[in-house]
Order: sequence, then structure tokens, then C-alpha cells
Amino acid sequence: MLSMSSEFVSSRLLFKEGDESTYELFIGPQHPASGHMRFIVRLKGDIIVSVDPDIGYVHRTMEKLAEGREAIKAIPLLERLTIIDSHNVTVALVTALERLLDAEPPPRALYLRTLLSEINRIASHLYGMGIAGIMLNHSTMFMWAFGDREVWIQLAEELTGARLTHTYSIPGGVRRDLPQGFKEKFEKAARYMEKRLQDYMKIFLLNPQIASRYEGVGILKKSEARRLSIVGPNLRASGVKYDARLADDYGAYKELEFEVPVREEGDCMARMLVRVEEIKQSLSIIRQVLEKMPSGPIFAEKYLKLLPPKTREQVLKTGHVKLPGIFASLKLPAGEAVARAEMGHGEIFYHIVSDGSTKPYRLRVVTPSFRNVVLFRYLPPGHRFMDFPAIYGSLDYFPPEADR
Amino acid sequence: MDIVGFIVKLFLSPQVFAPIVFPGLLTALVVLLIIIWAERKIAARIQMRVGPLYVTRHLGGVLQMLADGTRYMFQEFIVPETADRIPFIVAPILALTLAILPFAFIPSAPGFSPISSPLTLPAVLAVISAIPISVLLMGWASNNKFSIQGAVREAFMSLGYEVPLFISAISMSILYGTMSLEEMVTKQFIPGLILNPIAAFTFLVSMIMSAGKLPFDIVEGEQEIVAGPYVEYTGIIFGIGMGLAYLKLYALSLIYTIIFLSGWEPLPKLLYDIYPGIAGIFLFVKAFLLMLFIVFLRSVYGRYRLDQALKIGWRVYFVLSIVSLILSLGLRVILNV
Amino acid sequence: MSNSVKNFPRHIEAIWTGLKYLVKPNRMTVYYPEYFVEPPEGYRGLIRYYPDKCIQCGLCAMVCPAGAMKMYVKKGEKKGRPGVNYQRCIFCGFCVDICPQDALEMTKIHDVAFEKFEDLVFPPEKMALEPVSPALKMGAKKVKPVFDEERGLRHESA
Repeated sequence: MLSMSSEFVSSRLLFKEGDESTYELFIGPQHPASGHMRFIVRLKGDIIVSVDPDIGYVHRTMEKLAEGREAIKAIPLLERLTIIDSHNVTVALVTALERLLDAEPPPRALYLRTLLSEINRIASHLYGMGIAGIMLNHSTMFMWAFGDREVWIQLAEELTGARLTHTYSIPGGVRRDLPQGFKEKFEKAARYMEKRLQDYMKIFLLNPQIASRYEGVGILKKSEARRLSIVGPNLRASGVKYDARLADDYGAYKELEFEVPVREEGDCMARMLVRVEEIKQSLSIIRQVLEKMPSGPIFAEKYLKLLPPKTREQVLKTGHVKLPGIFASLKLPAGEAVARAEMGHGEIFYHIVSDGSTKPYRLRVVTPSFRNVVLFRYLPPGHRFMDFPAIYGSLDYFPPEADR
Repeated sequence: MDIVGFIVKLFLSPQVFAPIVFPGLLTALVVLLIIIWAERKIAARIQMRVGPLYVTRHLGGVLQMLADGTRYMFQEFIVPETADRIPFIVAPILALTLAILPFAFIPSAPGFSPISSPLTLPAVLAVISAIPISVLLMGWASNNKFSIQGAVREAFMSLGYEVPLFISAISMSILYGTMSLEEMVTKQFIPGLILNPIAAFTFLVSMIMSAGKLPFDIVEGEQEIVAGPYVEYTGIIFGIGMGLAYLKLYALSLIYTIIFLSGWEPLPKLLYDIYPGIAGIFLFVKAFLLMLFIVFLRSVYGRYRLDQALKIGWRVYFVLSIVSLILSLGLRVILNV
Repeated sequence: MSNSVKNFPRHIEAIWTGLKYLVKPNRMTVYYPEYFVEPPEGYRGLIRYYPDKCIQCGLCAMVCPAGAMKMYVKKGEKKGRPGVNYQRCIFCGFCVDICPQDALEMTKIHDVAFEKFEDLVFPPEKMALEPVSPALKMGAKKVKPVFDEERGLRHESA
């Protein structure tokens, strides 16, 4: 039975049993709170019975496009998967390419990659917290998170030359060296951020009204999280201590000391608190990186020796890399390589298969949001309809990343 | 000459001047204009940005809402095919009329009330509590899944706040011994806020729930039900729907000032001698400051869930209003205030 | 009910935080186009071409990920000179990094606007001119972002 007699239907009555009737509601792509996807929600009165996420609206065929281009052109392409967190997406790809090409980046390049990865992680967590705020119509949290993100984007701009599309790592090293005065600027930004985190707690997370919306809502049990293979802060908020920075060897994480925050409750509040803790840990990691940074070249010796000696001098003096001419058509040796990295949203995984030509035969990427989509099916049933935006905001789900 | 004198005397009489000019219809429209601009500017100041600026650049963009209203007037008023035609058009007009009706009861200076009756307080509260019915009619006539949800939420919420609102107002009238708004001001030797702070707090929170301001803006929840009962309206009616909540807030904050903040005291004798209608200037200033505070709360809170708001309305504020009733009974008996 | 009593001081704390920022706001808005934010050194803006340094090797067109650099071959030349198509350029800077003679450079101008689609394709002669920002041409004042502990990012005149 249709409840609207016009051509398009936005909801319909499914069946009536006695006094209860189940409605089907489309929270479609044209909705202020659905992102780039559609949810098919079945409601019995005010209680959600089932949710069916319908993804694929932002599919950009990135894996297929990478098959038609040379390897180095895949780096700016795949960076646009999650543009808010761009270095963490590319550093895994570059690590996989380096394993295939057998090129070792120098230690200074590894430290610089870690620096930019952590700056991007802070910016990505602030984005996630802002979206969680606006889902509950708390516009102050939204504006503050995005305003404070400006500080970190400005720091990244000083380092790489672009605000969001960094394209910083290349096979063999990085493209720019640390500019002058970076450490003092970072210290001021870090002290500002620590003060602001206290303000966030007072006005958003410890606000009793927000706490009543988040506590006890959307509980993800530890066994369920393991069974559904969830990644990222969602996993760590349910009590499983897994971090791809410790699992795989990329960047300089083996020589730095940091903690991985884990909480036991598994509800929305725990997920938000894990993100706040991770921002604090990232600040401490960047401090260690800036103290322990080794000196040396920023590009691998294997490729630096292909440049004429005057250009080599210029690279070491100015800090801007010069790519050797061979990079325009770099031949990938035949074989396979895998690599993983920890983005703000979770773990990203690359698998590259090459058959000896300049273009990869197959490039497969598994993004964290793609692995977290299944939570939309398992978490909301049993909750009220108004809990749905709260759960959505706390999961930090990014549709363009899931659809690739 | 006689006709002109008659018209001028008619216009300046309290029955015409107070509901239409001050603090009635014209002042309400000007306040509507300024309070929405003030809400956006206050929110912007806290949130690291600037807010509306470019309309009248040197005054900080004050006439932004006039520009918005002019734009609404030029939009086409569409009646959807599937909507119920007569209630669709009548409901917002009914809502606006009911929202302006309370100004017929509110006095602005001693001896200058439009309807002098010993029962103005329950009359004005009764009129204000009839507004949710017209919102329900708007939601039903639109024939849209989201607007019905919004109208049902409005019905739930109005049940949640009406009872504490009435009981705290009645407790104050027990304390003063009168139900007429004009006499309440003369009986306040110290403001009602200090005599019965529990009633003041309960009335304030019920006021916020009634006007649909954050943290209780469940009816117009943008994130889930896209503007609720007003979603099918276009043009000037949409603008009126958005402004309806502010008119309710203005009427309720005038009542709050009269009951709890000693109304129009201190009365400026000079203005009162010239013409009593304009002597209520302090009443207006206090009510406006109260509205600014309530509008500031938008930047601090998010939105409550519907069942949490109802739980708060019944379990916390209903109990507090009964406590305030007992407190004012005790004050009246013991202190013979 | 006891929950509400316990929560009341936290409500007051949240309201106090809001009032603190109402009294002393920390805006970081820049009124473009009256003020123009000067990007830092090494910013990747529009590309400038130096024809006398170019040796016509064609490496920039080979490495461009978006296919924006194209070689314009004139009569008698072997590989021609590069021209850029700003419809496709993603400002990654690979062409600048790979040029062996430093004939390409990225300027700090980023806010040029075009009126027609055809204007977006730059032949080598147009790429050799210095790009002009319309805000600076109309007299915008330059400001520089400065990191600040209290306010995050402040803008001071450059």
C-alpha cells in the first residue's frame, strides 16, 4: 500500500500486524545527513528494524584507471581517494612500489614521511569530530573543528607547497625538505591544539546533553568487531589493540615511542574519546620526530646518482628534489608487493601485481571505510530513529573512500 | 477636525496602541528582524567566523533579514497536488494569527493594558498553547512523510512542556495573590526571581522547549526530517513558519519579564507623563536581553532525542514545578507576603 | 533526578566556555578580495615557462599525470615546446621536478579566473608571461598567516 499517490515514492507501508506497522524509509542521497549514499531503513514506529546501506554513488573506477597509467602517475590519482588524509593514502602505495623496485628511502625521508602522516592524522580526526558534531546539530563543534584544521593545513602547506593535495612521497624518498623555522611554528600550533582539546571536552564531549546522546548507543562488542573485521578507532574503542603502524614496517615508527589508546566500552562516546586521545599521541610523535630528525639526503642514492653532479648539488642545497628522467617511464620488475598503512579512518591495504612493463597489471586497494560499511547493518537495529545520525557521526565513515 | 481627532484618540488608546504598535505587532516584526540577525552574529562570534556582513556593510549587516524576506516575497507560492488544499493555505495564517494574539493581553505600563481583566495570565497562556494545533494542521495537510513526523513530534513536545509552564506560572500567581498581569508588577517589591527561583528556572526551561530553541529544536530537526512540518511550504509562508517560533519566544519572554523580573520597573516618569504607551521601555529592554541569552544557548548545545526531551519534561521539570508550587504556598502562608 | 543534579555544574561549564568566546572571539577570516593571503615559499601555483632554458626534451609531457602538458611542435622543431591545459592540470608539480634545465617554475599566484573555456589552454607563448592575480591588480593588501598560541592563526600585513 503506497502512502503517496504521486509518481515517486519516498516511503511506503510494508505490512501491518495488529496495531504495529512497519514502514520503509529511504534516506536518499538528497538528504542533509546521509553523505553520498542511500540508506533503506525499516522502522516499526520509532524503533529501527533493519538498515540496508546502498553504496556506489561515488564510484570513480580508480583501480581500473591505475592499470592504464605508469606507476608514478598512480600516486596523484590514488591520493584523491581520501583527500582529507592524503599522505596516509599514498605512503602505503609508495612503500609497495619501493618493495617492488627494491629502492630504499634514506632515514631522513622516513622521518619526514612520518611527520606529514601525523599532521594528516590530526586533520582527519578533526574532520571526523566536526561531522559528528553537525549530525547532532551542534554547529559550534563543527565550526571549531574545521577552523582548527586550518592551522594544520597551513603547516602542511609550508612543508609541501599545497594545502590538501600533498603528493609528497615518491618511490625513493620525498619531494621537499623541512623549511626554516618549522619547529617553532609547530610548537605554537601544538600548544594551541592542546588548549583547544580541553575546550572541545567541555563544550562537546563532557556536555551532559551530548553525553546522553552518545553513551550506551551503538555498542560494538569485542567479538563482533573481530568477526566483522572492523578497522581503525572503531576497533580500538571496542577493546582490540591493533594498529597498522606497529604491524607493518613503514616510516620511522619503529624508533619512536607512542601509545595506542584502547577503550573497553565500545559505544559512540568511546569512539570519540579514542580519537581525542589519538590526536594527543600524534602531537607527541611529531615532537619526537622533530627532535630526532637525522641529517642526510631526502632522495634515494640509487636515483640520485642518475642525475648530473650539478643538479645533485642543487637538490642537496635547496631541498627541492629533481626527478631523474627515467621516472617518466619507470619499469616495474615483474612480481607482487603488498603494503599497509594506518589512516585516520583505519588500515588501508595495497596489493600491486606487475608483469614487467611500465604500467601495473593490477592494483588493488582495500580502504578502511569499505570494511566499516557493514557496521551500518549491525549497529542500528534496536535503537530509535534519532540515534541513527549519532551512530553515523561516531563511525567516521567517508563515502568516496568506500566507493573508490 | 472632529473625525481626525477621533481617529487620533482611537489610535492612541491602549486597546489599539499596545497590540499593534508597542509591544505588539510592529515591534514584534522589528524584533523578529533583529533577533534572527543577532542569533546568527552571536553564533558566528563564538564559532570563529563573521556571520552576515555585506547587506549594510557599515552597520554590520543588520538588514540581512530584510533582504531575505524580500527574496521570499518574490518566490512563487506552490501548493502541491497531493496536499489538502484548504487546510494547506489556512494553517499558516491561523498559526500567525494565534502567535500575534497574546499581545492583546500584555500590558506595557501601569494602567495601559489593552484588555483590563483580572484573568489575563491564564488567557495569554491558553492562547499560546493553541499554536501547536495549527502546526499539527500544517504537517497533516502537507501529505509528506517527513512533515507528518515533524507534526507528531510537535504534538509530543507540546505535551511535555505545557504542564510545567502552567504550573510554574500558577505558582507565581498564588504567591502574588492575583492573576492579572498588571497587578503582578505592582506586587513585586523584590523581583519574583529572588522570591521563587525554582519557578523562574522551570518557566525558563519550559519557555525554551516551547519556542523550539536548541537543545530542544526537535520539531525542525534538519538532520533527520529536513525542516519538519514546514518542508512543503515556499515563499513568504516559509519565512513566516521560520519566524513563528521567534514570535512565540517574544511573547513568552515578555510574560517572563512581567512575572519574574518586575516588569516595567523602574518606570521613567518623564515618558509616562508624555504618553503612557511609550513608558514600557525597560520592559522591552529586559525581554530583549532575555531573548538574546536564549538565542546564545544555540551555540552551546546539540539536540536532545525526542524521548529524552519528554523524559526531562516529565521527570525533572514537572517535579520541580510541583516543588515550586509548594514553595510559594509556604511563602504565602509563613511570610504572608 | 540525581543524574541531573550531578550534571548541572557541567552545563554551567559548557555555557561558560561559550560565553568566554563570545567576549573574546578568535576569528581567522580574511576579507578576500580586499586582502590577499600570501602563500609561503615553495607554493605550487600557476606554472611559468622560460623558453631560453628549454632544451625540448619532452619529459614534462611524458610525466604529467593528468595529461595537461602537451608539446606544441612548430615547423622544423623536433619535439616542440610545452603548453599547459588548465582544465586538466592538478598542480602536482611533477613537470617542474623532472625538468633537467629548470625551465619550468611554479609561481605563487593561484586565484586567476577565466571567462571562456578556450582561455584555459595556454600555448607556450602565453605560459612564458608572468600570471597576474585579479585581486592584486585591483589593489588588495597582502597579508601573511602567523601562528599564534592564543588564536591559532592570525593574519598580519606582509
